[in-house]
Amino acid sequence: MSNSSLGAASVALGVAAAACAVVIVALGLSGRRPGWFREARLLAWVMMFAATAGVVVMERALITRDFTVAFVAEHGSSQTPALFNVATLWSALEGSILLWTLVLCGYVVAVVVKFGKQGDDPMLAWAMLTLFVVAGFFFALMVGPSAPFDRFDPPPGYDGPGPNPLLQNHILMAFHPPILYLGYVGFTVPFAFAIGGLCTGRVGEGWLLATRRWTVMAWGYLTLGIVLGAWWSYETLGWGGYWAWDPVENASFLPWLTGTAFIHSVMVQERRGMLRVWNLSLVISTFSLTILGTFITRSGVLQSVHAFVESGIGPWLLTFFAVIVVVSLGLIAWRGDELRAPGKIDSPVSREGAFLANNVLFAAFAFVVLLGTIFPLIVEAIDGRTISVGNPYFERMTMPIGFVLLFLMAVAPVLPWRKASGEVLSDRLHWPAWIGAGSMVAAALLGARGWSPMLAFGLGGFAGGAALRQVALATRRQGWRGLVGRTNGGMIVHFGVVLIAIAFAASNAYVRQGEFTMEVGDSAELSGHTLTYEGSHVTEYSNRTEKSARILVDDVQIYEPAIAQYPFAGRTIGVPSVRSTWTDDIALSVLTFPEGSDDTVVLRATVQPLIVWLWIGGLVMAAGTVLAVAPGKRRRPTAPTSAPPAAHEVAV
Amino acid sequence: MSRRGLSWFAFVVVSLSVLVFAAVDQGSPATNADKAYALAKDFACPVCQGQSVAESDVPVARTIRREIRVWVDEGRSDGFIRDQLVSNFGEDIDYTPSSSGVASLVWILPVVAGAAALVGLVVVFRRWSDEPDLAASADDEAVVAAARKRP
Repeated sequence: MSNSSLGAASVALGVAAAACAVVIVALGLSGRRPGWFREARLLAWVMMFAATAGVVVMERALITRDFTVAFVAEHGSSQTPALFNVATLWSALEGSILLWTLVLCGYVVAVVVKFGKQGDDPMLAWAMLTLFVVAGFFFALMVGPSAPFDRFDPPPGYDGPGPNPLLQNHILMAFHPPILYLGYVGFTVPFAFAIGGLCTGRVGEGWLLATRRWTVMAWGYLTLGIVLGAWWSYETLGWGGYWAWDPVENASFLPWLTGTAFIHSVMVQERRGMLRVWNLSLVISTFSLTILGTFITRSGVLQSVHAFVESGIGPWLLTFFAVIVVVSLGLIAWRGDELRAPGKIDSPVSREGAFLANNVLFAAFAFVVLLGTIFPLIVEAIDGRTISVGNPYFERMTMPIGFVLLFLMAVAPVLPWRKASGEVLSDRLHWPAWIGAGSMVAAALLGARGWSPMLAFGLGGFAGGAALRQVALATRRQGWRGLVGRTNGGMIVHFGVVLIAIAFAASNAYVRQGEFTMEVGDSAELSGHTLTYEGSHVTEYSNRTEKSARILVDDVQIYEPAIAQYPFAGRTIGVPSVRSTWTDDIALSVLTFPEGSDDTVVLRATVQPLIVWLWIGGLVMAAGTVLAVAPGKRRRPTAPTSAPPAAHEVAV
Repeated sequence: MSRRGLSWFAFVVVSLSVLVFAAVDQGSPATNADKAYALAKDFACPVCQGQSVAESDVPVARTIRREIRVWVDEGRSDGFIRDQLVSNFGEDIDYTPSSSGVASLVWILPVVAGAAALVGLVVVFRRWSDEPDLAASADDEAVVAAARKRP
């Protein structure tokens, strides 16, 4: 059997399994099929098998260069190196949807395994129904508008172009998309349980507690995926930047913002039973933003408002997005009365008050990013003008929000619940504040100028000091256990955020870039570094030809930025070379080797401080997430700090 | 003033002076290359997807970078450079949306939404603080009194 037929068969199996599962769970909910869970569990495994088979068949087709599969003919090549051959799966739309589906099926199986003992719980049933509908939608995409296993009739001697050259020249491409998908798709689980809670009317804390770790893990993957994406773009695109507010980046950032708001505000609901509607809205927004983001980035709508209708997948995703939003809002409206929570926030200066402020700020942040991303489309639709919204807009609008968030990050962890007195604040914030002031003084002594980076360093030091205080107290009390659990792990995540904020501020404020036309032997100066051009050489690889410039940096070491030609793809791209140290980075890229002159190069060099701390900060955030989901010290449900859940919610 | 109070006072003085110092003393003045690079970030590369003139390596972006540099060297204002680029390449080269017409909504809406959220928060807190703490009703008092009477 050919790869195309095998693949199409596995997709068909997946569609059938998802459809059956939807019917069976629906029957189970109506009470006509008591043993529904066992069957649904089996079908979840069948779906997992189908998606795995699809991915295995596609990888086999890619590795064996089976050009009778259209996807391989369009995106594969006999010249692509092995690792990137495997990664070709997620270098284009159809393969990405296949990977998305596999990850989703993995989550569905994890849910049936984890919640297997509660098989007759209606909330679980509604959540399973939601999961199966979403999975069915993605399988259906692979039958219709995004079919990965379409056939192709290759002429004799046919070879494909290979993936986009930019997607096959850095190892991070092998990790960034799958990790990002683990994040995106992971938010389907809390979304499904939120829908389950709404449908059963159990809108209390049950669904939250059931999916707490799932949410935090998904958030951690999303964080790591975004940071790896920034790293990839820094290492491969050659412009010395890592974040450009482009729509694809914004599409991943939006669910991160609402997800971050969510994992903070759930704590208010768990502790005080408040903010129910808000938390439901946040988890629904996060999930629907992953779908909207996929629509924005995959439908071609960005080229023009009208292009997406031709893309095939665009209308499907948009319809799905609309259905999610309408159904969810309808459910919230229907349950309106039961969602009204008892209790009130006594004082704005309290832990819950700070979480509320945090949420308003993250929501505002997300609103600005969403508006800036889709605004050109709105204007084009209204009066046909094409406008752009870019870096200056996003920086001006988000910088103030970022500052206030940093400030909150410093103050909130030391605030007690309910009410804080000035005395408590003065006592607990004293040392963190001095750490903030100390970082500003240190930065000024090291030559930092400008009020806005300085403020970022100060607030960063303040927030870092507050996190340090919490961790120090916790470890003094509990030893190594003071590092695990949600609160303590959360403080480690805060350290990572502080590192990123400081590195972001420094690299943005003190970036220096220069373009130099150099002959062999010439030297150039940039920001205290000396760059000497020592000549060029050509290297042939299986999939490309590289012409590299030998650049001697600071008379110490040679770096070799290059220009690579990919004959099969018919494209030429730059291959930057980066010298990283703890204090600053020099990113070198060749703009061109001018024709007619053998020993000239046009070189672009970008010097930025503290870049490496962005990646370290990302890793610290990921490590903190792992610590946060690790089982820490359990609070007894009868302890006076936590209200006992209502009886029917204990079962969840 | 207590010791703690003095320390906070010193903290405010130190922080504010460092901030003011950093705002006033700009360090070494920005070179023309720096100014041109900062400007190039504010314009979209006309033929790329989501890359600015500063980021892109395509020939037209490099040409625009060179033009910007020439204008900066000539001492032209940012407004002049913007007008030149917009008249040559169209409105969508400008990454900063205009503050008039439909486009101005992108600036106004977040401010309006932010203000609305703030007002909403204040109203909610007002309502919360106006709510009296639960007072015991006569029935409640009776239950407690009955319970007390029991031996």
